[in-house]
Amino acid sequence: MSQVASQVASQVARETLLAARGLTWQAGGRTILGPLDLDVRGGECLAVVGPNGAGKTTLLRLLTGLAHPAAGTLSFGGRPFARLSRRELARRIAYVPQIRPAHVPLAVEEVVLLGRYPYLSPLQLAPRTADFAAVEDALRRVGIQELRGRPVDELSGGERQAVFIAAALAQEAQLLVLDEPTLHLDARHQQQLASLLLRLKDDAARTVVLATHDLNLAALLGDRLLALAGGREMAIGSPAEILQPEVLERLFHARFQVVRGGDRPLTVLDLAS
Amino acid sequence: MSPNPTRSRSRVALAVLGGVWVAALLVAPLLGSHSVSLAAALRGEPTAAAILWQLRLPRVLLSLLAGGGLALSGLGFQTLFRNSLAEPYTLGVASGAALGAVVALRFESAAAPLGLSAVALASFAGALAATALVVGLALRRQGVATQTLLLAGVAVSLSCSATILFLQYLADSTQTFRMVRWMMGGLAVVGYREVLWLLPWILGGTVVLLALRWDLNLLLTGEELAASRGVDIGRLRLQVLLATSLMIGSLVAVAGPIGFVGLIVPHIVRRWVGQDHLFLAPACLLGGGAFLTACDAAARVVMAPAELPVGILTALLGGPFFLWLLILRSRER
Repeated sequence: MSQVASQVASQVARETLLAARGLTWQAGGRTILGPLDLDVRGGECLAVVGPNGAGKTTLLRLLTGLAHPAAGTLSFGGRPFARLSRRELARRIAYVPQIRPAHVPLAVEEVVLLGRYPYLSPLQLAPRTADFAAVEDALRRVGIQELRGRPVDELSGGERQAVFIAAALAQEAQLLVLDEPTLHLDARHQQQLASLLLRLKDDAARTVVLATHDLNLAALLGDRLLALAGGREMAIGSPAEILQPEVLERLFHARFQVVRGGDRPLTVLDLAS
Repeated sequence: MSPNPTRSRSRVALAVLGGVWVAALLVAPLLGSHSVSLAAALRGEPTAAAILWQLRLPRVLLSLLAGGGLALSGLGFQTLFRNSLAEPYTLGVASGAALGAVVALRFESAAAPLGLSAVALASFAGALAATALVVGLALRRQGVATQTLLLAGVAVSLSCSATILFLQYLADSTQTFRMVRWMMGGLAVVGYREVLWLLPWILGGTVVLLALRWDLNLLLTGEELAASRGVDIGRLRLQVLLATSLMIGSLVAVAGPIGFVGLIVPHIVRRWVGQDHLFLAPACLLGGGAFLTACDAAARVVMAPAELPVGILTALLGGPFFLWLLILRSRER
């Protein structure tokens, strides 16, 4: 299964899934992001890293179609965003936002089923078999079948994050976009989430774009890292290329040490310097 | 929402509410300052038949519709703004409708040939204007500021009340009495004209909310997530606000401003049927109708032979309920 999936993944890997050209976003007459050119390739994981206010969330909101660029174009699989309806776009791109309401009065299964929204019509009384199958698959992949009946409000932060990732999987979109997935999670839940995302990337043949402050998560998951500073691309490349003390110091204006080198380097922030 | 225990529980709860609704329809017409024997009315005894068929039954039908409309509007506002305290009364929509209607009553002589429709049109206009003003004030680039929403609702309510008092001061004593009496909210009608008038608005509102149930369910997980799944938040807001404002405008035109039904009923019904709007919308329609009908029956009986306007009774129940919700919320924090 995973062998077939990885073959499929390597086949699509050559093609550009999401393309941005001259992408620009402005607020109050000031340019917050761009101009930026970006290609997200099918099957890859692109990790966006950078300091606070670099425009990471803004970039993700533009890539998901939630925000409309002031200038520039976006296309998915060669089709411009402008020619895709909101629902068509949602069947291609699933988003797990960082900010969510503190209170979600639904059960786990209900939240995951709502991931099927882009496929549901107002005229149908109940979801179809395919919808329930997608929900089951998502619950199983994320490993939260036993939580299905629990109210989301009763869950821990890590479980909650897993529920929203499951909902995004049920959306059956090729591209999964995650904003700070490990934020507010303790060490154990960060580890669980990282291994979950690693599994999804490998077996589910999803293309992933994620924004994170956690450089080790970016190193573990990212095939490529986009270093974003002041709304512009400072560097883009493999984890080994980006996660170097000089690059990181230029990006964050803080000192880092590489604890372990290799393809997926382990870095620590040197707080004392 | 899915084949799990909550769904079958929702079905049972909805069926029970349906039973309560039918019971209200059957029993409430027999209650009032004069007890009416159903047997006598069916035998064709003129007084009993007139009271039952021309006074009590239309009044009960009206309260079933109006109560349902109030509860549905409350549900729509609460889901849309993710705030359990939002309802037509607290958001100033009912006050806007009341102001419109009072203006129409004040200048009634000019509008007399139009009858109900002049008051109704003014009431619609008032409801829509109040909604637009309150929501417009609270609208931000990213969603709606709920604190501002409720405060704007209070401000609009107070301004409308002040304007209504001013109009009452200017009016002659007969007009003033009618306005004051109408402001208390009441369901005393003769015949079926008001019932037939209200029916399409309430049914239309129900259909709109049911058609939007996936969108409303999804909105419970947040606007950002809903938008990323393909919900056009702006359009959804417009659809829900239009549907609720038209329901409120239409029912305030015939029954006056009746407060707090839209706060109490959705809150209770949610505990029974869960959060799926497929069940919530009909449950509010049935539960709200049964609740207002019961209140109105009680209002007819408690001070017999005098009748208490039902709006006074719902406000007496609703004020403490609002406080109780506030206390619950402050404990949660």
